[in-house]
Amino acid sequence: MSELALFIVRLGFVAVLWIFVFSIISVIRADLFGQKVVSRVAAANAPEVISTPVGNSAPFAGSSPLVSEPTGSSAVKLVIIEGDKTGQLVRLERREITIGRSPDSDLIVDDEYASTHHAKLILINNDWLIQDLNSTNGTYLDGSRVGTPAVVKLNTPVRVGKTVFELRS
Amino acid sequence: MTFTNLTDAINIPKIIRVIPRNRNIEAWLLAFALGLFAFELAQIQLSVLQVLCADFWLYFVPFTLAVLAIHFVLRIRASEADSLILPIGVVLNGLGIAEIYRLDLHTVAVKGTELFAGKQIAWTCIAIAVAAVVVIFVPSHLFLRRYVYVSMFVGVGLLLSPMLPVIGRSINGARLWIGIGPLTFQPGELAKIALTVFFAGYLVTRRDSLAIVGRKIFGVRIPRARELGPIISIWVASLLVLVMQHDLGTSLLYFGLFIVMIYVATGRSIYVVVGLTMFFSGALVASRVADYVTRRFDAWLNPFDQSHYDAVGGSYQLVQGIFGLAHGNLLGAGLGGGLPHLVPLAESDFIIASLGEELGLVGMFAILALYLLLVARGVRIAFMHNDDFSKLLAVGLSFVIALQLFIVMGGVTRVVPLTGLTTPLLAAGGSSLIANWIIIGVLLRISDSMGSGQRVIGAVN
Repeated sequence: MSELALFIVRLGFVAVLWIFVFSIISVIRADLFGQKVVSRVAAANAPEVISTPVGNSAPFAGSSPLVSEPTGSSAVKLVIIEGDKTGQLVRLERREITIGRSPDSDLIVDDEYASTHHAKLILINNDWLIQDLNSTNGTYLDGSRVGTPAVVKLNTPVRVGKTVFELRS
Repeated sequence: MTFTNLTDAINIPKIIRVIPRNRNIEAWLLAFALGLFAFELAQIQLSVLQVLCADFWLYFVPFTLAVLAIHFVLRIRASEADSLILPIGVVLNGLGIAEIYRLDLHTVAVKGTELFAGKQIAWTCIAIAVAAVVVIFVPSHLFLRRYVYVSMFVGVGLLLSPMLPVIGRSINGARLWIGIGPLTFQPGELAKIALTVFFAGYLVTRRDSLAIVGRKIFGVRIPRARELGPIISIWVASLLVLVMQHDLGTSLLYFGLFIVMIYVATGRSIYVVVGLTMFFSGALVASRVADYVTRRFDAWLNPFDQSHYDAVGGSYQLVQGIFGLAHGNLLGAGLGGGLPHLVPLAESDFIIASLGEELGLVGMFAILALYLLLVARGVRIAFMHNDDFSKLLAVGLSFVIALQLFIVMGGVTRVVPLTGLTTPLLAAGGSSLIANWIIIGVLLRISDSMGSGQRVIGAVN
């Protein structure tokens, strides 16, 4: 092979090696920014979607949050309707969901009005109960402060710090 | 009324797709990586032999089959695993094989008999198979948590096994091998994985007392003596390795790994400060006392001194490596175009110098970028996980690769004293390949469990 051809091959290899590096970087970039865009869309859409009551059933259309129903095991998820994480949901797969600022909480509430271990949801006798864990600013169930553990009905707002969530089926 | 269709009505947008997409990206990148490997082999044959010959297939086919095999294992058993780790590992391993093959061609040309490329390709296939076995049979990395103390004993046992009378072997002055007949193995390579599992499990249970307890002196919280106990014992163990096995690199690797993991677990820089002070004071004493450490230090500080250059075990190898890198210049001599065989152990300890000579500074930075991306993926896996054991394990395993690369490359380029560690994935040697592919397998396994269940972006659990 001629010197020139070898020279081109030589440069070509290093170039191709770098192309590989950059294709990896472009995948990472797509991961990062692709997600970010979608999540912004979600944040914009979510509250709107959530406040729409059971869409198709006429009697309820247009009315504000759904009439409370006994929760029981029909509640399968916790939906955040106010606060930084609006639109996110946590599946109620365990019998106990802890809420607070501490990183080992199931629902991490990251604001200065929440305590480290703020409250927890417990499933007892087919009902989800909210228990306040002596938090500084209290936990509010449908507007009133929770003293003793109280039953959380479906679609009833619970406020922890600046975050409000509801249980949904 | 029924609430059965409520989930459909309240349509919270699902943001993270259930991703077999990961695997398709991986397939593309693997094709690219194998193409690169073919390019390397062809370029080497053309520039050394002037013709393409059938040996090409001898190297290309087994490697390709092994890579495809693990790719399909991932498709079936871990479809949401990270898509970039495997291609990066394949490129690095392929580069290593190609460079070793290139050195072999020279050995054949001068009628030498010590060939490595055949062994390397065989070990690569075995190592990739082991990684596949890890992905298949370790259902979840949390399963490793049950064996925290077992892995401590395994790790320490492996680490000390070269000191056993019959099977222990001493090669080039370092007692790091065990051997049965002609087969030799470097158990320290596997020990690093076992010890990472142990450190992760241990620190998960102790992190709170390590992080919070302690008296404040001058605004710095000093950990209690009993929390310092394990650090001191690891320090003693790593100094023992240094003194008994004559290996600075291994002891630096284990101690550094422990310090990093303790820092990640507690977030307190005092441990890093204390740890580094302890290590450097220990090493300084060792450099005065142990003869071989003194020689290494001298060779590191004054490699171009004629007396060090000529001494047995002096700086000859190091200096030849530096000449090689200098010959490589900016763009390199081209694969097959340099003279990497002038450096002793060019296929193992000095593979970085060989590649640096043939690919130049630009290629060297590409290799470093690949390692950086590999480690960054590992750290990202740790970051995305919410339980502490996974976090620590992933950080520990990726950091093992990073630290080992730093010690080796630092040694070759005279940033730190030269030691006998292997370059992860590049260097010739079965134990090192197997250990690093196990690390890749475990990282893939950890990254797969990240996506388990239905996730919504930033989902709180």
